[in-house]
Amino acid sequence: MIARHLEANGIPTVVMGCARDIVESTGVARFFWSDFPLGHSAGKPHDTTSQAATLSGALSLFDAAQAQITVASPQIWAEDERWKEDFMSVAALDPETLARMKAAHEQDRATLGKIKSSDAG
Amino acid sequence: MIDYIPRSRAYYGAQGYQPYDWAHNQDTPFSPSTKPLAQARLALLTTAAPFNPELGDQGPGAKYNAAAKFFKVFTAPLEPIPDLRISHIGYDRKHCAADDPNTWLPVAALQAAERAGEVGALCPELVGVPTNRSQRVTREVDAPAALEACRDMGADVALLVPT
Repeated sequence: MIARHLEANGIPTVVMGCARDIVESTGVARFFWSDFPLGHSAGKPHDTTSQAATLSGALSLFDAAQAQITVASPQIWAEDERWKEDFMSVAALDPETLARMKAAHEQDRATLGKIKSSDAG
Repeated sequence: MIDYIPRSRAYYGAQGYQPYDWAHNQDTPFSPSTKPLAQARLALLTTAAPFNPELGDQGPGAKYNAAAKFFKVFTAPLEPIPDLRISHIGYDRKHCAADDPNTWLPVAALQAAERAGEVGALCPELVGVPTNRSQRVTREVDAPAALEACRDMGADVALLVPT
């Protein structure tokens, strides 16, 4: 939504990210997508070659794109794609985990409420 | 590719929560570049948060830390590279150790691109944008503030790196 506002006000943007459906649902002008676990929008960890290539691919869209575009990075995270099954896995939600997560979530909400009210004050 | 929207709906639904209503737009504003990137001034925008040791574990490897969230757009000098973390964001904690900030904050890579002449110049400060749950606040408060910060620094283009 930030990128959309910048674009609407004359500033060309490129978004680098991993969550393709979320970014494309929002609708951004230029998106460089890495099919990596969330947290790696700018490349693989401790891998300056991957990071430089990811940035280069993203930056190239400023000059190359003539219209809305998504470009997929040619890099792959791993030959074994089972990592994609782990994130937000409903299968992993046994009753004990659910109870623990619910308690943590309620605590997070309370924390956020405190921060927001202190911000407002 | 992971379908994050249906997966998050199923995940939070299984926990008894209403799913987050992800933004959805039919149209997309597009602003053509008016000068080559090699002559342009670039602003970096991030959703990472300034590290504050008083706010609990912020990683590497920290659990989700709501206390580390921020709610106002900020700017921070690019040099020295600021210590910005992602413990306040729901990234993939199993497959991201969060021990290399260059995976979410490509300042070093951008500086190398600037030295190589691929980017005309980097704005001296990055812009931090909150991950507000409220789309209205993002649209009506954060986005105008981010635009103002970009304009104040004379940015021609903006690179956004959300986590």
